[in-house]
Amino acid sequence: MHRTQAVETVRFSAACQRPSGGRDACPGPQLAAAAPAATGRRWAAGLGLGFRPSGGKTVLAHRRRYGPLAVQRPFYPEGGVCHVYLLHPPGGLVGGDLLEIHTHLATHSHALVTTPGATKFYRSAGAMAQQTQRLEVADGATLEWLPRENIFFPGAQAALCTRVELQGRARLALWETHCLGRPVIGEAFDAGRVDTRLELYRDGVPLLLERLRVDARSRLWRSRLDGRAVTATALFSHAGDHHLRLARDCIGTPGNGIAAATRVEDLLLLRYLGDSAEEAQDLFAKTWSALREPLLNRPATSPRIWNT
Amino acid sequence: MASMAVVTRRAMGTDTTTATEARPIGDALARLRLLQLVSPTLPIGGFTCSQGLEYAVEAGWVGDMEDLNDWLVGLAEDNLAHLEVPLLARLYRACQRGDVAALGRWGDYLLATRETRELRQEEQRRAAALTRLLMDLGIPRAIPWRRALETCQTAPYALAAAHWKIPLTDAALGYAWSWLENRMAAAIKLIPLGQTDGQRLLLRLAERLPAVLETGLALPDDRIGASSPLAALASSLHETQYTRLFRN
Repeated sequence: MHRTQAVETVRFSAACQRPSGGRDACPGPQLAAAAPAATGRRWAAGLGLGFRPSGGKTVLAHRRRYGPLAVQRPFYPEGGVCHVYLLHPPGGLVGGDLLEIHTHLATHSHALVTTPGATKFYRSAGAMAQQTQRLEVADGATLEWLPRENIFFPGAQAALCTRVELQGRARLALWETHCLGRPVIGEAFDAGRVDTRLELYRDGVPLLLERLRVDARSRLWRSRLDGRAVTATALFSHAGDHHLRLARDCIGTPGNGIAAATRVEDLLLLRYLGDSAEEAQDLFAKTWSALREPLLNRPATSPRIWNT
Repeated sequence: MASMAVVTRRAMGTDTTTATEARPIGDALARLRLLQLVSPTLPIGGFTCSQGLEYAVEAGWVGDMEDLNDWLVGLAEDNLAHLEVPLLARLYRACQRGDVAALGRWGDYLLATRETRELRQEEQRRAAALTRLLMDLGIPRAIPWRRALETCQTAPYALAAAHWKIPLTDAALGYAWSWLENRMAAAIKLIPLGQTDGQRLLLRLAERLPAVLETGLALPDDRIGASSPLAALASSLHETQYTRLFRN
């Protein structure tokens, strides 16, 4: 009952749909219809967050949810920027689970969102676990979306889509880290399928469209990933060549992974391929620290939860 | 799909005579236009780019024929099948319909899938060169559609194919072949590889193309998309590589 109401009010069905319609679509559009019908051990979770400026700071003005997905009370370690931790209590997704996140930042708001732990996708008997995230950032607003890694356990069947829609001069810092199997304990991703998408639009025009498909049965992903377990991308908007140099300095000599930076239009892209999610996250955090002041005019203050 | 069956049979090396004779001589001109469009003599600079392979060789990721086979099979079965061929089909149909808005939209889409500055520059430079050529050759829509055509090289390729009435299946086959031939030309210089070994590998890799085309031409919108993290990293790192044979 509660769940059904939430679905209607938050309009989750819009997640990951093309604005023009019909050109392409994430697996997202069916989610809202499916969510209320979820039964048994499978569950659906959705979270809608609306940020807007109020009295010199950014407030979490709207919060709607269904299922076991939540945010802690926002906090303000650095003045007006609204810091939020996304929580996902059951700790992971199994086949058939649906998880939808829809965030909207109004003009001139500034939010930093992170997660206290990795998002885990467990072994599935066949059904896909789906996560869709739609992040809308209005003209003049700033979103820092800096979650911990996604871990795909051997046998996981997962489809993830993150779609960012920037308007006008909206600013963005975002990263995504995907870990296939658990290299820390020597567990390879020897079964399962993963389909991840990262899509960034500005004023309806695509700026970056990435899609990585991994099928453990195919040896192809070994050639495209060099047999590595961790692939990660960080992106920063409004970057120039100066920022690209700063990012390249941060890479220095990475450990066992491969990392590189490039810039397409004003988008700085930092990529990592290796065997350690921690190494990727450390590199991204270091680069974010170096770039935050020049790009966002704020000294970097790492969320305390990253140190735990 | 009848023409695809012909493609498959010919590529598998069986029934060649029948398949060839079955084609009416009437479309010979369209096939000749295709040969011209995918020829290395087409002045659009196909041989100036390695798409990251130069760095991959330098770093030791691609060191011999087997490595190169894996590298190219990965790109063919993911990027060609799930990105370039299905987008070529959409761009081609947009040209046939005279739908310049769809042409520009899918062109923007393809450009946004190029993961690095070098890959986008290559895409845009070759798109501009081919569009310029089509304008100089007097292809009617090249001038009014210029902005949409200059998004990615596949867009003017699609216009030329549609204009010369090259069937989509053949246009896609030519596109895939041209991609493979360009990659091989770069690899022969970079690894380096003997000319005969290069031809051997082309024979092997070409056998995979019919299936790649079949997947790509039938792919629905929601399955479009491909990324190759290793190739993207190679291309990024190539941007700062100290000595280079290739521009990108």
